[in-house]
Amino acid sequence: MNSLRKEFNTTTLVLIPVAIAINIAIGHTIYILKLPFYLDSIGTILVGVLAGPWAGALTGLLSNLIWGFTGLNPAYAPFAAVAAVIGMLAGLAAQAGWVSSWWKALITGLVVGVISAAVSAPISAYVFGGVTGSGNDALVAMFRSFGASVLPASFAQGALTDPVDKAISFVLVWLIIMALPMRFRARFPQGQMQT
Amino acid sequence: MSEQFSIFQSRPSRLHALHPVTKLVLTFCLLAAALLLPGLWTNYLLFALAILPLATLGQVTGPLLRAVWPTVLPFAISVFLIQGIIYPHGTPLFSLGPLTLKREGLLLAISGTGRILMVVSNFILFALITRPDTLMLSLVQRGVPGGLAYIVVASIQLVPRFRARAAAILDAQHARGLETTGSLRRRLSAIVPLVVPLILSSLVDVEERALAIEARAFNHPGPKTSLIEITEAGWERPARWLLLLTVPVSLGLRLWLG
Repeated sequence: MNSLRKEFNTTTLVLIPVAIAINIAIGHTIYILKLPFYLDSIGTILVGVLAGPWAGALTGLLSNLIWGFTGLNPAYAPFAAVAAVIGMLAGLAAQAGWVSSWWKALITGLVVGVISAAVSAPISAYVFGGVTGSGNDALVAMFRSFGASVLPASFAQGALTDPVDKAISFVLVWLIIMALPMRFRARFPQGQMQT
Repeated sequence: MSEQFSIFQSRPSRLHALHPVTKLVLTFCLLAAALLLPGLWTNYLLFALAILPLATLGQVTGPLLRAVWPTVLPFAISVFLIQGIIYPHGTPLFSLGPLTLKREGLLLAISGTGRILMVVSNFILFALITRPDTLMLSLVQRGVPGGLAYIVVASIQLVPRFRARAAAILDAQHARGLETTGSLRRRLSAIVPLVVPLILSSLVDVEERALAIEARAFNHPGPKTSLIEITEAGWERPARWLLLLTVPVSLGLRLWLG
């Protein structure tokens, strides 16, 4: 309980809404650029790495719920659990020292991507019939035409796109943390772990 | 009142006058029904018999349909193409060249589209009739930590500012000759000069804001007064419990009828 209170200090509390806004603003910009991924969890990963796993999980959960409940993209709300898992994994990875150089961040991102594909496939298959409404549906169609059923096809689609997405996100977060002044990082519970 | 990132529409309706927690319970029950109830056309029926009458009561039918349509249509097209035509081993209904519409795939597509329609329209209806700040205030009055309410309301207020800032950075980098159209490689290389300045500039004021809210007794444990008052009719409390009873009923129907 005490460590949880330390994780949610005032600076963390102020960082979380900023991170949520970063998720939504960048996710939307990437959507405009028509790139084959989302980059909608950079803020979540940033909080996980700087503040800890629970703060990261809360950021991910609230990002998708706010995205859905404000009516901007209701299709994102059911994936709130996936976003929470990503934030938690980012926090745990940072504690283990796996985000401390660009190549470690890259590998961590790939691993987190595979896990997030596994968590999101059942949601995508059950709630949305296995489609995303985006260009990635061509991949789902391909796996389906090979004879895969709905759940494996959505997992295969996620396993192809999510690791790249999360690897880019983790490397970007590493870049950002390196660019932050030491004095600023020291205000966060895990800020001094990454050097 | 600052601009809010929310599609809330203010109307003098009885639906709007409900307590935010009642609206939340209603949304939750409809979501549970949409995901649990069996049957091919159930969700279309729910949409016609629950969502549309509620939207009419709240005088938001127009905005609801305008918001639901562009979200559901791409899903519907995808799900019909992918499930209807590429379903691996099904009974063919009719063929058009190399494409064959399969019966099982079509059924899957119909129920899938219905579920998406209900999930999306349910969230949008909630967003249209609920002010985010009164919702969070009502939750704090019920014992949700104030920090959580701060996070939600602050993010909702920050998003439009951030999207404006992202657009400004995009314009600035365009002016410096950054290409954001064309080949995939060119668009990929545009990510770093867009994302890194946006995040660094927004992190700058985190520290300042932390000091500001601490100086305004944010962490003080005692009760706080609020500018907004929330009213609740006497019948709303029992009505919420009745609504919640529909969740086990939905689950029961699901288990019983498959």
